[in-house]
Amino acid sequence: MKTIRAEDISIEKKQLRSQEQQKLLMITALTVSVAVLGLVCLFTGSSRMSLTECVSVLLGQGTDAGIRIIWHIRMPRVLAAVIAGGGLSVSGLIMQTNLDNPMASPSTLGVSNAAVFGANLSIIAFAGGFLTTGHNLSNYAVGINPYAASLMAFLFSVVSILMILGMCRTRFFTPGVVILSGIAMGSVWTAATTILQFYATDVGISAAVIWNFGDLGRATYKTDLIMLAVVWMSTAYFWLMSWKYNALLSGDASARSMGVDVDRLRFVSLLTASLVTAVCVSFLGIIGFVGIICPHVTKKIVGQDHRYSIPVSLLGGSLLLLLADTCSRSMGNGSALPVGAITSLLGAPFFITIIFSKKEGTRC
Amino acid sequence: MLTVENLSFRYGRHLSPVLKNVCLSLEDGEIGILLGKNGSGKTTLFQNLLGISRPQGGTLLFDGRDMKKMSRKERAGKVAYVPQHIQFGALSVYNSVLMGRIACFGLRAGEEDCRVTEKILADMKLETYASRNVEELSGGERQKAAIARALAQEPRLLIFDEPTGNLDIANQQLIMEEARKIAKEKNIGILCSLHDLNQALYFGDRFFFLKDGTIKYSGTGDIFSAEIIKDIFDIDVHIIEAENRKIILGGKINED
Repeated sequence: MKTIRAEDISIEKKQLRSQEQQKLLMITALTVSVAVLGLVCLFTGSSRMSLTECVSVLLGQGTDAGIRIIWHIRMPRVLAAVIAGGGLSVSGLIMQTNLDNPMASPSTLGVSNAAVFGANLSIIAFAGGFLTTGHNLSNYAVGINPYAASLMAFLFSVVSILMILGMCRTRFFTPGVVILSGIAMGSVWTAATTILQFYATDVGISAAVIWNFGDLGRATYKTDLIMLAVVWMSTAYFWLMSWKYNALLSGDASARSMGVDVDRLRFVSLLTASLVTAVCVSFLGIIGFVGIICPHVTKKIVGQDHRYSIPVSLLGGSLLLLLADTCSRSMGNGSALPVGAITSLLGAPFFITIIFSKKEGTRC
Repeated sequence: MLTVENLSFRYGRHLSPVLKNVCLSLEDGEIGILLGKNGSGKTTLFQNLLGISRPQGGTLLFDGRDMKKMSRKERAGKVAYVPQHIQFGALSVYNSVLMGRIACFGLRAGEEDCRVTEKILADMKLETYASRNVEELSGGERQKAAIARALAQEPRLLIFDEPTGNLDIANQQLIMEEARKIAKEKNIGILCSLHDLNQALYFGDRFFFLKDGTIKYSGTGDIFSAEIIKDIFDIDVHIIEAENRKIILGGKINED
C-alpha cells in the first residue's frame, strides 16, 4: 500500500484552501462585472446621451431630460435586470437540485404558463392594463389599473404552484411526480390561454402577445423593490440550506440518514423558488433560459457545492440579463427587442458549447 | 445495542406486507449479515431502521430506547447508512465527508466538525484525496469516501446495503476488511446485506436469513447448512471444510 507522507497531506490542505479562495475570487469578480455592466447598461440607449452627460446625471447634475432618462427609465430597468436575472437563475439551480433533474427550470411547476393565462385573462377578458411599457398599446389600458395584469399573473401562478405541490405532498412527493404534474398543469394553462386568445379581439390579442414578451421596460422602482425583497429573502434561505442541498445530491435515502427532512426541504424550496419566478414573470413577462443556462454554467465552473454555486448562479443570472438587455436595446433600432428572445439567442449557443465540452459521466 | 421485535411493514394499506414479524438483535462491534433473495425485504428493513419508512407494527429499540420516538438528528447520530448505489455531487472528498456532520452543525461547520472529518480521512487513508472531486474517484475509493461520510456521523450502528455489489474482487476485499476494522477498532455495530455467501461467512459474526419478509433463521456461522441455503435461495449447494473454515460450493438451481 502507498505510504502517505506528511508533505502530501500538507499539499492537499493547501490545495483545498486554494480551491476555496478561487471560488471566493470568482464571486468577487462576478460582483465587479455586474457593477461594471450595470453602468454600461445605464449609459447605453437610443437617446444618444454622451458618457459625460450620463456621469453628470449620476452625480446629481445634468438636464431634466437626462435625469428622466437615467433615473426614471434606465435605472429601474437595470435594477430589474440585476434582480430578476439573479432570482430566476437561483430558482433554476434550486429546482434542478431538488428535482434531481438537469432539465428543471424556474417554470417547471407551470408557473410561467399560469402567469401567461392570468395576464391574458386580465387583458383579453377584462381589458386590464399592463405595466408601463415601451410598446405603443397604452390606449388599450387607459383608465385601468396598470397592475391588473401583473396581479392576475401572480395569482394564477400561485394557484398553479399550490395545486401541484399540494397534490404531490398529499400523494407521492417525489421529483418525478412533481415534474410530470408541472408539465400536465402547464399544458392545462396553455390550452386555456389558446381558447382565450381564440375569442380575443385583434387589439386584445396584440396586447396579450406583447405582455408575453419579457420586457424589462415595465419595471418601476416599486416593482423593483418588491422583486428585491422576494429575491433577497429567498436567496438568503437557499444559502442557509446549502449543506442540506449538498446532502440531497447524495440521494434521498442518504440525505434522510444524515438527518435531513427531505420532504419538508423539497416542499419549502420548490414553493420559494416558484414564488420568486411568479413575482419576476408577473412584473416583467416571460424571460426564458436564464434559469436553465446559468445554473449549468455555474456548476461547470464552481462545482455543485451550494455554498458557492448559489452566489455564483445569482450573479451569473444578473450578468446574463444585463447583457441581454444591453443587446436588446442596442439592436432594436430605437425600440428594445424582447429581452427573453435575446437571452435565448445569446445563451443557447453558449449552452450548447458547455454541454459538448462536458467530460463524459459528469453530472449536470 | 439494536433490538428489533416483531417488525411489520407494508407500503400501502391494501398491499401485502413486505416485512412480517421481523426479529433481530445486534451488539456493539458485531457484524450482522442479512442474507436473502432479491426482493426478500432487506432494503425495506434498512429503510425502517433508518427512519426512511415507518413500520406499522413492532418495536425498534436502540439501547432500550424506542427509535420511532427519536428525532432525525438523534437517529442520525446513532445509525448511519452506506447505500448500494453511491451518489455524490461534484464536491471535494473533504466536503463530502464533512457533509456527514450535517446533523451536528446544521447550517455551518465548526472547528470540531473539521477535526472529526480530518481524523476520519486519516483513518480511512483518504487524506491525500481531500481536494479531489469525489465523482472522479474509482469505485473502491468512492465506496471508502461513502463509508468515511457515514463515519463522520459518529454512529454506533453502520448499515451497508450490498457494499460489494459493484466492485471488483480486490476492492470487495478492501471494503469488507475496512468494515471489519471499523467494527473491531471503533466498536461500531455493522448490519450489512451481502449476496456472496462465502464472503458473508468470512466477515460476519451473526447471520440473518430473510425469506418473504420474515427472518427464518439466525445465528452464528454454525447455522450455515445446505438445507437452510436451499430453503432460502432455492439452490442445492455443497459445504466443505478447509483450514477450519466452511466453504460453500455453488450448486444446481432448484426449478421445482
